[in-house]
Amino acid sequence: MNSEIPARTKVALYGLLCVLLIPFVFPTWWMVTSSLKPISDIFVFPPQFLPTHPDWSTYKQVFTIQPFAQQYWNSAWIAAVVTAATLAVSSMAGYAFARIRFPGADALFIVVLIGLLIPSEVTIVPLFRMFLKLGWVNTHWPLVLIPVFGAPSVFATFIMRQFFIALPQELEEAARVDGLGRFKIFRTIALPLARPALASVAIFTFLHSWNLYLEPIVFLSTPSKFTLPQALTQYTDAYGGPMWNIQLAAATLTALPVLIVFVLAQKQFVEGLAHTGLKG
Amino acid sequence: MAEVILSGIQKRFGAVQVIHGLDLHIHDGEFVALVGPSGCGKSTLLRMIAGLEAVTLGNIRIGARDVTDLDPKDRDIAMVFQNYALYPHMTVAANMGFSLEHRGRPRSEIAERVRWAADILGLAQLLERYPRQLSGGQRQRVAMGRAIVRDPQVFLFDEPLSNLDAKLRIVMRGEIKTLHQRLKTTTVYVTHDQVEAMTMADRIVVLNAGRVEQVGSPLELFDRPANQFVAGFIGSPAMNFIPGRCMPEGFAAGGVLLPLSPAATAMHAGREALCGIRPEHFDICIAGDGVAAQVLLVEPLGSETQLSLRLGDTQVIALFHERLAMAPGDVLHLRPKAGGVHLFDAATGARMDAGSGA
Repeated sequence: MNSEIPARTKVALYGLLCVLLIPFVFPTWWMVTSSLKPISDIFVFPPQFLPTHPDWSTYKQVFTIQPFAQQYWNSAWIAAVVTAATLAVSSMAGYAFARIRFPGADALFIVVLIGLLIPSEVTIVPLFRMFLKLGWVNTHWPLVLIPVFGAPSVFATFIMRQFFIALPQELEEAARVDGLGRFKIFRTIALPLARPALASVAIFTFLHSWNLYLEPIVFLSTPSKFTLPQALTQYTDAYGGPMWNIQLAAATLTALPVLIVFVLAQKQFVEGLAHTGLKG
Repeated sequence: MAEVILSGIQKRFGAVQVIHGLDLHIHDGEFVALVGPSGCGKSTLLRMIAGLEAVTLGNIRIGARDVTDLDPKDRDIAMVFQNYALYPHMTVAANMGFSLEHRGRPRSEIAERVRWAADILGLAQLLERYPRQLSGGQRQRVAMGRAIVRDPQVFLFDEPLSNLDAKLRIVMRGEIKTLHQRLKTTTVYVTHDQVEAMTMADRIVVLNAGRVEQVGSPLELFDRPANQFVAGFIGSPAMNFIPGRCMPEGFAAGGVLLPLSPAATAMHAGREALCGIRPEHFDICIAGDGVAAQVLLVEPLGSETQLSLRLGDTQVIALFHERLAMAPGDVLHLRPKAGGVHLFDAATGARMDAGSGA
């Protein structure tokens, strides 16, 4: 098939893509530029696309109004632990569902999948009561345990299962003949081959944990324990009105590392989803 | 090296029985091919020998040990899979040395064994490559290398050449046979390709619907098939079967009379039978000395000519090692070669022995 596209069509196509890009790029653009403007300039009409006098002091204030560095660290380590734990749980569970035949395996997998259908708002109250009993309210434990054993992990398990199902059975049989037991086959054969799927699970788990909002506002009450999404809501003046420029500076700092990681890893992310038979 | 003894092997998948009480003795150093049509149970049998499939009933011995309930790793076997099953994330050298590494053998020994196998199989230049960087034939060689580095008691091959193109298959066939002649390791080789089995094996086991139809050397199976199934399965093009009746004056089939030996006519006269004649066991003769046959199709193969013919009311194929100037519609006279007629019972398909040769 001839894949040559005429120049005029190409220009039209790129033009259309640029127009479609606006709703996706504009909020980020607005966030970054507004973080450098005085509040009075943010909502002026006609809007200023670039700040006339960029004011970098907003970024300094982000750290003086709240313990933002501590909150940054909280988000980072929670997301890292959740990601590592989810990778461990979902890869083992996904492998078991894909490869180990036991009575009721399919029924059990459906029960696990049903977990995806229950909104987190429904379970938040019983979870709160449970963690209250355990004395873990206003600690980071709920923010780690809920994603690792909740819906995000179920979705990750589903992705890993789909990947392991597609892995040729003969590879495992060859490993059995070579002398490996079940766990060693998983660790030395299946897991290294699952890198694309693990990468996509890692990225979306990290993003989910980084962006988690409902659970932190329910379980945390001390600013030094806050995570970033919750901290962003705290940049208000004496009257409770938002300090837009500082808030947007904090938002920019919050979004930046994730954006960088995603841009660098997007190829693997999309490949990983494609490997699992899901569309990116 | 070791002998492999299968006694009363049965295999069930739920309600479906796929192997029905099979006995087989594979001698030390022997190359045995398991052949049969798809679904006959040959791969299942191989997998049971490997320990990848549980035995429902019966037992398997490798050497002096009963291995029926042992894990594959404890059976001292090596297996070459149809799809090679090379570990994609490991180099050729790592693939070949993996089992030795897992068994905790010293690095120097692993390197030495890998080099030895690579030299035998012509892989010395490819040791640092990954499977994805190899051709189909090279991958197959690596799979064989992985098997031989361990120096197992038994090699198991599960249709190892079926993913290769026809030309490469012939090359690899020769390589596997040469390898066996060099190592003299007991080998069980599964294939659905009877030519592969004929050219490589010391003995062939023909399986059909989970039962052994015949065990014998390639030429025994070709010359004296035990039944119609084996006769039809071994040989390409397949044997012609002409239904008819043994008469005192010959074999009467659809209005023609094929010559039979005096012993056959004496023993089987009056019995309904199938007359089996291989395509290459026809001779062209003069009118009055044979049976008239009308040419339906002429297929010149270069060194041979294959004819589709109507013989009485049966269509047969004849293969001649000469070039024939024939056209559809021509009539020629055929006579089976001496010893080229096989009689099979019309009801059971079993060989009607003693004096069945023409």
